[in-house]
Amino acid sequence: MNILKGEITEIESQGNLSLVKIQVGQTVLKSIVIETPATSNYLTRGNPVNVLFKETEVVIGKDINGHISLQNQLLCTINAIEKGKLLSKLTLEYNSEKIISIITTGAVDQLSLQKGDTVMAMVKTNEIMLST
Amino acid sequence: MIQLSLYKKLQANHGEMILDIDIQIQSGRLVAIYGESGAGKTSILRMLAGLFHPEKGKIIVNNQTWLDCSEAINLKPQKRKIGYVFQDLALFPNMSVRENLLFALDKGQKSDIVDELISIMELHKLETRSPDTLSGGQRQRVALARALVKQPDLLLLDEPLSAIDHQMRSKLQDYILEVHKKFQLTTILVSHDITEVFKLSDHIIVLENGRIQKQGSPSEVFSGKNMSGKFQFTGDILSIEKEEVVHIVSVLIGNNIVKVIVTEEEANDLSVGNKVIVASKAFNPIIRRIG
Repeated sequence: MNILKGEITEIESQGNLSLVKIQVGQTVLKSIVIETPATSNYLTRGNPVNVLFKETEVVIGKDINGHISLQNQLLCTINAIEKGKLLSKLTLEYNSEKIISIITTGAVDQLSLQKGDTVMAMVKTNEIMLST
Repeated sequence: MIQLSLYKKLQANHGEMILDIDIQIQSGRLVAIYGESGAGKTSILRMLAGLFHPEKGKIIVNNQTWLDCSEAINLKPQKRKIGYVFQDLALFPNMSVRENLLFALDKGQKSDIVDELISIMELHKLETRSPDTLSGGQRQRVALARALVKQPDLLLLDEPLSAIDHQMRSKLQDYILEVHKKFQLTTILVSHDITEVFKLSDHIIVLENGRIQKQGSPSEVFSGKNMSGKFQFTGDILSIEKEEVVHIVSVLIGNNIVKVIVTEEEANDLSVGNKVIVASKAFNPIIRRIG
């Protein structure tokens, strides 16, 4: 599980759902949760939270242009690549924090990813969990 | 229902400490009191058993007042329907296992319960042996059986398994769960072993310096409550297998085995038998009607 430390900057609620914005380094991440400030105390502006997401849910983009719906985009450097036959593990660095991405080896080859490359790590809003 | 309010100044290792708690426990529950040593856990059990007296307080068990300091009511230990198992409970060395159990019978009480307990706790092969010839795990099994002879309303377990090796401990935990359900006991377990607390209890009270720091279900108390994943279960790790750059962890949740992919770093922190929380966002699972 990837864990980044952040601070809640905005909460938009509708019914039982909340869209939460979290400042992590220079980037604002978004998470959608089935909780509201009324049901969960931790949902308060200014509160520190951990942003959690699964390694297998981290999408990698290189030289991306055009539009993409993924709301959470972190510009990272590849520190290491460990290749298996089917799956590969990328160790990335964002804001001197470690993020791991597990993608197929086919995708690593297709994007010709190399150690030292700058890539965009992306996570869908509904894949981000929050914890305190 | 057990209502408990206790107040007492205690001499702890680091000086004076005030035990001040107010707890309500529903009948039939298995409640764990969890905390560091010296937090006041054992003092609570001893006060329940009538072996130690608070300065202020009340103990009401199933509408019967055992203790009320303001009314000078204080039931003697033998009048309180309690079974008590300690870490190093001494059995009578000059009596066989069976005699130890028979000795615990109340005057006029039928001995059927002894046979029933020997059967449930699988003590047949041990019943003629003397306690000195038993292993630590076997002795605690006898101690647990002996605590149940009087058919108590309340079973108090004070770190009963902490001196026992891992495998035996797990077996004894199963016995505890079995008798708890079978005799519809209200059980209070004092422990500082998270895995044990997770396995046995349905409610946890965390005690810190004589005060209740938090309470709730095991997953609420140990991290679950503060994680936004709504698809959340606790289970036991059955196996961990390395597969290329990831590991596949099989987890038993209820009667189902689920598999979770983890990274090497996470796998290093996990081992077979660990209690874990498996969590995902409510957005991920799919539902299909099957009936």
